[in-house]
Amino acid sequence: MSNTLWVLWGGFAIGLAFGAVGQRLEFCVAGGLREWWREGDPRRAAAVILAMATALAGTQALEAAGYIDTGQSIYLQPGFSWLLMPLGGLLFGYGMILARGCGARALVLLPDGNLRSLVVLLCLGISAYAMLTGVLAPLRLPVAEATTVSPGLPRPGLPDLLESFGLGAAPSRAGPTLLVAAALGWLALAKLRLWRKPVQAVGAAAVGALVPLGWLVTGYFGDDDFEPARVESLTFVAPIGDAIQYLMLSTGISAGFGVTVVGGVLLGSLAASLASRDFELRSFEKPNDLLRSGGGGLLMGTGGALALGCSIGQGLTGFSTLSLPSLLALAAIWLGALTALRGPLRLRD
Amino acid sequence: MRKPRFSRFHFNLSIVVASAAWLFAAAAPAVAQRAPWERMEAAAKLLDVAAPKTDAIRLDLPAVTQDGSAVPLTVTIDHPMTADHYIESLHLFASGNPSPEVAEFSFSPLAGEARLSTRIRLDGTQNVIALARTNRGEWLAGAREVRVTVSGCLTQAGAFDGDDFMRTRVRAPNRLRRGEAAEIRTLINHPMETGLRKDADGQAVPERILTEFRARVAGQPVIHAKFHRAVAANPYLLFHVAPGQAGTLDLEWTEDTGKTATATAEIPAA
Repeated sequence: MSNTLWVLWGGFAIGLAFGAVGQRLEFCVAGGLREWWREGDPRRAAAVILAMATALAGTQALEAAGYIDTGQSIYLQPGFSWLLMPLGGLLFGYGMILARGCGARALVLLPDGNLRSLVVLLCLGISAYAMLTGVLAPLRLPVAEATTVSPGLPRPGLPDLLESFGLGAAPSRAGPTLLVAAALGWLALAKLRLWRKPVQAVGAAAVGALVPLGWLVTGYFGDDDFEPARVESLTFVAPIGDAIQYLMLSTGISAGFGVTVVGGVLLGSLAASLASRDFELRSFEKPNDLLRSGGGGLLMGTGGALALGCSIGQGLTGFSTLSLPSLLALAAIWLGALTALRGPLRLRD
Repeated sequence: MRKPRFSRFHFNLSIVVASAAWLFAAAAPAVAQRAPWERMEAAAKLLDVAAPKTDAIRLDLPAVTQDGSAVPLTVTIDHPMTADHYIESLHLFASGNPSPEVAEFSFSPLAGEARLSTRIRLDGTQNVIALARTNRGEWLAGAREVRVTVSGCLTQAGAFDGDDFMRTRVRAPNRLRRGEAAEIRTLINHPMETGLRKDADGQAVPERILTEFRARVAGQPVIHAKFHRAVAANPYLLFHVAPGQAGTLDLEWTEDTGKTATATAEIPAA
């Protein structure tokens, strides 16, 4: 099997797993944060935090063992925009509360019969491409160029930062990895009491493990001298746009890892939904709901394009590389969600 | 209200409108049909016949691409490669680049198939044009439009002083079926600096590119390529060696500074 086929089928399998587990577990960053910060119920947020811990530990273990080089991914490029990265994160975070779920959640919910997700996905995919390469790109490019900074490191990652302070290569990678993964694991399992729900805990760890698996598929199995695959893992903003574009232009373009992940998530969730008899058609109850879904999709597409990723793409995958810009984007996404849940700009339920 | 009548005036008007529309429809293709290679000076200068054959060259390119810095291109020429009738040369152009020449290839019949793949640079949406000439002086032509959109990806530029500089890789098949041409993939690390890029201090980075590539099997030439700056960084080339040409394949790349790099591969017997 050629390396490009490995990447496509690997992406599809990872998507199937994400869709099935996500459907059964109701894995949702937006929902988790809403229940935690508004209703005081942290269980679903704990699942997200545990997934972050396993994604980080798995990715850094593969990196240390030399299987993958996340330095080739978009998260660890030398320069990043100090303005667009946090701005995009804020827009995305606000949008995912507005739409009642992020892009990945909408992909899982659509085959469950949730027709609101269709509006979210279309608005998200189209607005992401409008910002990346479409009518809004001429606005984005000069701003991105004018605000790009490089921290003066070969790669803007936490291990590289520690190394520049004189720490050895191995401890500067292992140190923050073990510390952060252990802290997040303790927070999720002990502090937020996820250990009382072993099925939820295992499922959340499995979602997190899909991130290093994705790195392995594109960075190890996809590696080829002559036709190298792009080193990437789970992310949903650009891939939802790519999938829409692939539907329209498949004779002239080729699918990549992200497109097969999107297809896999839809099918995996559909299978889980039918098997568990959860499938039920749901739609908008008020015209206002359509505005919320569409507006949320719009904010998530625009923001995700600016921040180079979504609550999964930056929140799990970018985070797993310990990239400093990803940490900034992740903080901005959570802050955007907090703004939508509490304070003067909060949204009604 | 008075019922509208279809008068003689209306009749004449519709005749005039219809004939104008017909004339326009007939004339429009004649204007539009001026082929891309006729509209480009560099290609038109090369082409010394009025009507090249247009059904034999196929260009495989993505219809839309986000990354204009390395657009995969496969050129397939449906033409025999026998000793007395073969494709002698292939010229590639990109109509919208600062300089339209992309690369030129000379084949010998030992190439077995007039088909190759490489990666090229395209500065915006434009036509990619291929002109090929047989050893009998016939011309073949083909063109494809590619839409290049801006990319959000920031890729790291290569370096001239790294360990990898001018590192070569070649892959030949381990075994061949009888009558099967050997597919050879080659790659060399080189930034192919265009001379158009500015560095961080705003100084123009001088042009420095690989200019030539030669492949010989058992001392006989197979393919000879001339690269221009529109060949993507880390030049990649896939070509073929005719069936029955077992032996050592010698490859040589030459930089504009005169520096060379070589590689060899063994082509197995069928």
